[in-house]
Amino acid sequence: MPTMQINVGPIHPSTHGVLKLVVDVDGDTVKRVEPHIGFLHRGVEKLVETRMYMQSPSYMEKLDYVAPLSWDELFVSAVEKATKIEVKERAQYARMVLLEFQRIASHLLWLGTFCNDMGQMFTAFMWAFRDRARVIKFLEDVSGSRMFYVNLRLGGLDRELPPGFKEEGLELADYIYDKIHDYRRLLEDDPIFIERTRNVGILKLEDAIELGVSGPVLRASGMKEDVRASEPYYFYNKIHFKVPTQTRADSLARYRVRMEEIVESVRIIKHALNMMPEKGDVKGLPIKLLGPNANPDPITISRELPRGEGMIYMVPDKQKPYRLSMRSPAFANLQALSKLCEGVKFADIFTILGSLDIVLAEIDR
Amino acid sequence: MEPPQYSEKDFLNAEQEMSLIARRAAQKYKVETNAMFAKLSDVTRAMSKGMVKWGQRNSVWPMQFGLACCAMELMDFGASRIDAERKGYLLFRGTPRQCDVMIVAGWVTKSMVPRIKRLYEQMASPKYVIAYGECATSGGPWWQSYNIVQGIDQVIPVDVYVVGCPPKPENLFAALMKLQDKIGGKIAGNPERSIAENIRK
Repeated sequence: MPTMQINVGPIHPSTHGVLKLVVDVDGDTVKRVEPHIGFLHRGVEKLVETRMYMQSPSYMEKLDYVAPLSWDELFVSAVEKATKIEVKERAQYARMVLLEFQRIASHLLWLGTFCNDMGQMFTAFMWAFRDRARVIKFLEDVSGSRMFYVNLRLGGLDRELPPGFKEEGLELADYIYDKIHDYRRLLEDDPIFIERTRNVGILKLEDAIELGVSGPVLRASGMKEDVRASEPYYFYNKIHFKVPTQTRADSLARYRVRMEEIVESVRIIKHALNMMPEKGDVKGLPIKLLGPNANPDPITISRELPRGEGMIYMVPDKQKPYRLSMRSPAFANLQALSKLCEGVKFADIFTILGSLDIVLAEIDR
Repeated sequence: MEPPQYSEKDFLNAEQEMSLIARRAAQKYKVETNAMFAKLSDVTRAMSKGMVKWGQRNSVWPMQFGLACCAMELMDFGASRIDAERKGYLLFRGTPRQCDVMIVAGWVTKSMVPRIKRLYEQMASPKYVIAYGECATSGGPWWQSYNIVQGIDQVIPVDVYVVGCPPKPENLFAALMKLQDKIGGKIAGNPERSIAENIRK
């Protein structure tokens, strides 16, 4: 049978962006998958070079709109490193809590859309969005905005934490922890879910390292690598948490890693909330004071984002970055798609694509 | 301020609303009440004049077409917190041929323009467009970028604009009710009052 070429898209099945796939199929077997990217390119790196330091976080948040706070924090940390500003202790704990809640929200959204893509129709989607709504509400209470928070300032946050931050945070963490068991019962007892994910898209460790993937995809291949553990920032070195790994390296392993990461995030949140000093200031510097004394040496900084290791290389200038370059974890993870899709059935492409958890705005930039 | 007075006419279910429209159309086009003497062409005309708008207004099916950040709120719009299905804005369809309204959610790049145009042309008439969010309305924060179209209305006609970055899902609800007003004019139960007002009260 001759090979046929099928165009998929440009649409992302889980509406995480716009992606076009050109698939060569022989019958139902996939010969080759070629992702076409660039439908969301808008030149962030160039735009940021024309903006003052603290105007840029709102651009950075739109890189990864599933977890906006993580890129925001990465950029603000880069500016803090360049200007040598210390973050206040209470603000550091608060940031940890917010970042981990953001990670939970991101993984929950991934879970819903992943199950949606695989035809596990709306149950998991509805459940995940129900719980994500509570997390989003918590972040909204802290920052005042529902999706793009922009509440980080140099050295802290933009305002005081709301009253009941600790109690509500602990309660929400408990709630999420309870619900994880529901998801596991729903999905792991489902033979269809297991059949569609087990042994689908096996990414061997050597291939994973060669392709440069990171985050849950790399950990599902068996490598214990997490920036929070290997190069701890904030107070991650004071908190005991596990770096979940799996050895099977298939789509099911990637699902399991993400579910365990939610549990670990809950643990980090609880520790951080309990260790957070009761009194103290969290406010950072006001916007107008920013950036005049930046050190002109180029800096590199990396953080563990929900999708993997994100990195910023910045050459600072007086008021705005002279050059800003980003390493997007989703871009590296997408490269694994062509490798994983050789020889699978056509329907498995979307399982594999979903399990890689890419965000196209971050890839196209 | 006095509380609004409601009558039974304000709260009609679909069946009652349909029969009311049919009765009103029959009066307007002078259809004989006795079916034996009514001309078939009169009946069909009366029915279609009243019914078609009613049907269009009450089954607004959006297209599953997320571009960027606002698509997250679009998903939330269909998910458990808002649950758009309860008002008849049904599940998002995957093909443009089954859809009435295209919600452009996200920034529009130059490489995306021909695709959006084509999808719009594939939709069956009557078709409507909602520009959801700052980027689709005016280019938003990217308006200085070299690769961005400053607003989808430069490419296709837009019916309703929703502002916000991103707008809350509730705003999309309001936008769809505005669109219903635009399609069908007033609600059948209380002709003086638009759908958006009716829901708000």
